[in-house]
Amino acid sequence: MRTLGVLLAGSAGVGHQDHQAEMYAPGFAAHPGFGIVGATEDGSGFDRADVDVVSVCVPFERRVEVVTAALRAGKHVLVDKPVALTSAECAEIAAVAAETGLVCLPAYHQRFHPAIRTAREAVAAGRVGLTWNVQADFLVAGGGPVWPYGELLNFAPYATDAVHAITGLPVTAVYALARPAEGPDDLVTLCLTHERGMTSTVVAGRTPPIAGVNGLSLHRYRVSGSHGTLLADATRPGVTVRGEKGTRTAWAGHGTVHRMLTELHAAVTDGRPAELGPTDALAALLLVEAARESIATGRVVRLGDDEQTKARVS
Amino acid sequence: MERDSMSNRPLGILVVGAGAIADLHVAAVAADPRCVLAGFADVNADRARTAAHRNGGVFWTADLAEALARPDVDACIICTPNDTHEDLALRVAEAGKHLLLEKPLATTVEGADAIVEAFARRGLVLAVAHSHRFYDYGRTVHDEIASGAVGRPTLVRLALLGGWIWPDWRAWVIDPARSGGHALHNGVHLLDLVTWWIGSRPVSVYARGQRRTATELDVHDYLEMVVRYDDGAVAICEMSRAHRPTALAHRDVVVQGTGGLLTLAWDGEGALLWDEKGAHTLDPGVAYGFAAQLGAWLDAVTAGDAGTSVSGEEAAMAVALGVAAERSMALGVPVEVQ
Ligand SMILES: NC(=O)c1ccc[n+]([C@@H]2O[C@H](COP(=O)([O-])OP(=O)(O)OC[C@H]3O[C@@H](n4cnc5c(N)ncnc54)[C@H](O)[C@@H]3O)[C@@H](O)[C@H]2O)c1
Repeated sequence: MRTLGVLLAGSAGVGHQDHQAEMYAPGFAAHPGFGIVGATEDGSGFDRADVDVVSVCVPFERRVEVVTAALRAGKHVLVDKPVALTSAECAEIAAVAAETGLVCLPAYHQRFHPAIRTAREAVAAGRVGLTWNVQADFLVAGGGPVWPYGELLNFAPYATDAVHAITGLPVTAVYALARPAEGPDDLVTLCLTHERGMTSTVVAGRTPPIAGVNGLSLHRYRVSGSHGTLLADATRPGVTVRGEKGTRTAWAGHGTVHRMLTELHAAVTDGRPAELGPTDALAALLLVEAARESIATGRVVRLGDDEQTKARVS
Repeated sequence: MERDSMSNRPLGILVVGAGAIADLHVAAVAADPRCVLAGFADVNADRARTAAHRNGGVFWTADLAEALARPDVDACIICTPNDTHEDLALRVAEAGKHLLLEKPLATTVEGADAIVEAFARRGLVLAVAHSHRFYDYGRTVHDEIASGAVGRPTLVRLALLGGWIWPDWRAWVIDPARSGGHALHNGVHLLDLVTWWIGSRPVSVYARGQRRTATELDVHDYLEMVVRYDDGAVAICEMSRAHRPTALAHRDVVVQGTGGLLTLAWDGEGALLWDEKGAHTLDPGVAYGFAAQLGAWLDAVTAGDAGTSVSGEEAAMAVALGVAAERSMALGVPVEVQ
């Protein structure tokens, strides 16, 4: 396996988050296809010959600048999610990525979860027939709040991206419900209409802590189709171990970040686009913006048919 | 009410409408010593006669007025199609009898209010057969929430998914003029249950419906109804007759609260069967729920204890939610609850 050189750029994120230190750096370090060759806070070093991939977690004010500079320097990019705070910024990144033809992978790593992969493959193989509904829950117990950004921007796109990965059907309208997001209790309900009349209801967000749960308390998808029904529970697979100190689960397989990096490696070395690109990140952000509008107005908001959306996407 | 509690005679129950669901009510009546089956009234005389013969040769008639005039009839259970509930219930109230009425209370908000008012005015006991409140799962979830185990509910999911059960195009259930539409027919079960669980006031409904079994259907075989409550809680209710395979009997419950998470797994009743046709969850049956439901109504009738019976006001709220859901589906927008 060819080893790709990785430059770590920045260590910022939504709220308290530092995905670079917590997820991507350890992920690259553990993956046989990558070697970390350096780190930068100011976005320098993009001209280094030993760098193939830049892992971008710079503050949002500098996302567009740093990602596009890396791409223009001929480097592939892994970019933390959300890629940007606005769809307009994301569209700029998407345009440069398209121009350069390089891999620019937004880190929606949950779609690489084995349960979601299995669901996606089963659906693509026609095992449930033509899909007409998805129900999804993505609930994280505890952890620091990402206010003022909110879980609509932080967690919900993981779930909506997974729904897209499973069904391949873009969202055409959204009705969203949320309670004021000022504490750790921040749940959003997204009622989505997709192409082909498929509907979905996606619940995502953060709840108060639960004893014995570290992270996701519920992460699952139900896919209904003309010929069958599929349940995928992404809090599995796992063995359950119960002991004096409590209950935990474990599994020997690779985690979602590792699997995402495998896709990044394959796309770079095969010279093909990654299965997930800046246009997916753009779709996710347009959905977030439409959902915000729905929460503010109490109305159903359509995507893709207003002038602004067209302008952003083109 | 005094008359019943002072005489030792068990309460005489007239069953109005001797169709599919009547059997479950009759079995519950047979098992409760406080009441006795007084007879059947059904516009279809054959049905009334057959039901009477099968149940020890009790009185039967095709004329409700004749049945209501009998001195041994103290109370009625109405199990007729939804569009007949309003007229029949008002006649029962007029005759001074207590009533256990099948859901939905009525197919319109005005009809529901008229029934509630008629029984309240005469001091008669009206209970509505929101039977899921009496199933063990429904009560367990309610009691956990009521005990404070998960704090205040912020998000509830309830899904009842099954395959096609409607016999053919002649079934009244798929005629919206007769059933009120699927949100009023089966949807009210879920709308009532989640509202009882959450315990606050519903303010709006956004509902989406699909017609998966046949595009020619006049009702939606799949419903996705999202209710918002005045304290910000959200309930997602899915009712389906559209899922495949038809043998699917899938129930899912999630309650996220300010202090914890409750889940009831799809195989939560604990028994699974694999056979040549695949895997099946084993349903413990609904009989115990119908017995508990009858018992709660009899508590109210004989002892004036409204305890767990489902009041007309609560059932009227379920009707208002069902009507809002149907309107939301027709208009494609969220609708305020009347
Ligand atoms: N609680 C539950 O779980 C549950 C389940 C199924 C049905 N239901 C409700 O029970 C009621 C009956 O449903 P079903 O499936 O038994 O229907 P059904 O069609 O099997 O039976 C209805 C009976 O009522 C009779 N009838 C019709 N109009 C009448 C009238 N004006 N006066 C007297 N009799 C009349 C019909 O001849 C028939 O025998 C409906 O309101 C339905 O919503 C409740």
